Amino acid sequence: MTMSFSAPLVKIKSLHKSYGPHIQVLKGLDIEMKPGERVVVIGPSGGGKSTLLRVMMGLEKIDSGSISFAGKPYISSEAADKKTVIDTEVRRSIGMVFQHYTLFPHLNVIQNLILAPCKVRGENKASATKRAQALLERFGLGAKASAYPAQLSGGQKQRVAIARALMLDPKLMLFDEVTSALDPELVAEVEQVILQLAAQDMPMMIVTHDMWFAKNIASRVIFCAGGVVVEDGPPEQVLGSPKEERTRDFIERVFHIRH
Amino acid sequence: MAYDFSVVLRFQDALALGLWMTIKLTLICVVLGCSLGFFIGLARTSRSAFLRAVSSIYVEFFRGTPVLVQLFWIFFCLPLILGVELSNLASGVIALTLYMGAITSETFRASLKSIGPEQLDACVALGLPRRVQVTSVILPQAVLRAVPTLLSNCVSLFKESALVSAVGMADLMFVGQNISNNTARPVEVLTVVALIYFVIAFPLTRAVTLVERRVLAKLAI
Amino acid sequence: MGYSFDFRSVSFGPLWEGLIVTLQLTVAANIIGVVLGFPLALLIMSRFAPIRLPAMLFVEFFRCTPAIVQIVWFFYCVPMLFNVFLGSMTMGILALGLNLMAFNAEAYRAAIQAVPREQLDAGIALGLNPLQRTLYIVLPTAVRASIPVLLTNGIGIFQQSALVAIVAVQDLMYQAKTLATETYRPIETFTIVALVYFAVSFPVSQIVGYLERRRQLMMS
Repeated sequence: MTMSFSAPLVKIKSLHKSYGPHIQVLKGLDIEMKPGERVVVIGPSGGGKSTLLRVMMGLEKIDSGSISFAGKPYISSEAADKKTVIDTEVRRSIGMVFQHYTLFPHLNVIQNLILAPCKVRGENKASATKRAQALLERFGLGAKASAYPAQLSGGQKQRVAIARALMLDPKLMLFDEVTSALDPELVAEVEQVILQLAAQDMPMMIVTHDMWFAKNIASRVIFCAGGVVVEDGPPEQVLGSPKEERTRDFIERVFHIRH
Repeated sequence: MAYDFSVVLRFQDALALGLWMTIKLTLICVVLGCSLGFFIGLARTSRSAFLRAVSSIYVEFFRGTPVLVQLFWIFFCLPLILGVELSNLASGVIALTLYMGAITSETFRASLKSIGPEQLDACVALGLPRRVQVTSVILPQAVLRAVPTLLSNCVSLFKESALVSAVGMADLMFVGQNISNNTARPVEVLTVVALIYFVIAFPLTRAVTLVERRVLAKLAI
Repeated sequence: MGYSFDFRSVSFGPLWEGLIVTLQLTVAANIIGVVLGFPLALLIMSRFAPIRLPAMLFVEFFRCTPAIVQIVWFFYCVPMLFNVFLGSMTMGILALGLNLMAFNAEAYRAAIQAVPREQLDAGIALGLNPLQRTLYIVLPTAVRASIPVLLTNGIGIFQQSALVAIVAVQDLMYQAKTLATETYRPIETFTIVALVYFAVSFPVSQIVGYLERRRQLMMS
């Protein structure tokens, strides 16, 4: 990285987002993320976690605020005309994986992987295919290259989706509840892949309900509720001995349900 | 009265010619009608209010009136308005193409709509430009999803094509009716005509079910 | 070319009478189709092949042959085969009604089979016997689900009814043909007639669209 050690990778400034006139999802969110951090966002449903990730990916309009990546502002909204301005060039440094896989069902695994590199970056097919095959081998999917999404298990689909996002060499990965739709016995294989990426210092922001996974992967945990950051700190603190009442309640309830 | 189906055999050449006309007409209008329907389907989901309005009026009108009336209109009114003679075949092709265009446009529109918003999310997250989203992700899926319904649209067209007999085109139905009138043997002749339509249409409707299952299996995510 | 339009020469009296006949045909055929389609649906779902197969053949035959062939066949062949002639209006109603019956049976069958398996499981878990499950779970769900298709089929038979003009039932289409020939005003006549058919069909198709949207909202 060319920037100085302390410069933030992502800087989110007073982000506001609402659906219609009455439902405010994000009420002035401020988050700074340093290079190499792995931020896990937890919190009750409807607290704005997924919306935050979708906004960062440029999938949702915002009411006001701004987001910069590596010092470059790429999402902002001018209060005057309420138009969300997105710099697609900067956005290309970010990859995202969704809860419901979102593989292209009419393309096989390799075709899913090389579509974006070939069409967006003009990479030639042979070199993209070679990279894709290597990535699949790494994720234990080498034999599935010519399978169609419908022929894969949920865990395999999600691993392919992660590989597809990595094909564009993202500098930040967003994971939006990627294991929530999976059968319990398939969760581990997907989390292993994400832990593999973590071991290579890939910066990531993760929304998850899996507290075990959160504890294992996070370098920092943010508890988000009611559209604002309630608590923010290292995992031992936020998950282990939270300072805020609301965080404590939430953590207790989640762990209570699990036992 | 004794029924004698051998009467039909004497006219097999005429019936074969009629069947050939029916098939020819159907095939031409399948190709033209599907192409028209594809663009009308796109126009109905277009951002331009003008395109949406024009295409909606066309589709609603053709779905809201009997095909027989459409056929009469094309046969008797269109030549007067255009001031040119249209051959029987040309009129039949125009009428059935417009009919097919209207019903297949609904098929294409429904298949476009059935592609979930999460597919578009994935496109954005991969940074695909709009053009690539349409040509590589949306259209291939829309066409694939449309195939079973398009097939059953083709069966409908094949059946509706029998209406051209009412305006004097020598298709299977027309030939059958002629033979039936001339021989005074409607039971034998018309039953055979009905059976010919049936043995062609029935396997096609079974094929629709098979193709549907395959498409669904492939697109199930 | 100078075709001068003259809508005044179209006399509305015969067209009005024709429309009444068309509507009578439609309503009568729909009564047959809606009422008898249901037992026919039960027959094609029967586990007993000697019942199921003839019923399926009946349905598939109507679905896989052109309506015009059915109507012409009915008018020429039924009197010869059974040595009866019932009057052209009755024949028209029967031909259209049987056709609609076949299509509606398919609609009912699809709706019955679409009743979710879990609903029936819930019925079993609640101790309902098979008859009760049919009466209280399957029927209400299936009938409600089939309404949009029944309406679509019903308006389809309204349009198909134009075919009886070919066998000289004096419906709207028949009157239009006569009038167009007598007055040499095909454009005006056929345009007006098309608009009349459209004016009846369009509102019904809009209602179907509304029902389907509402259903989707309720399901989601």
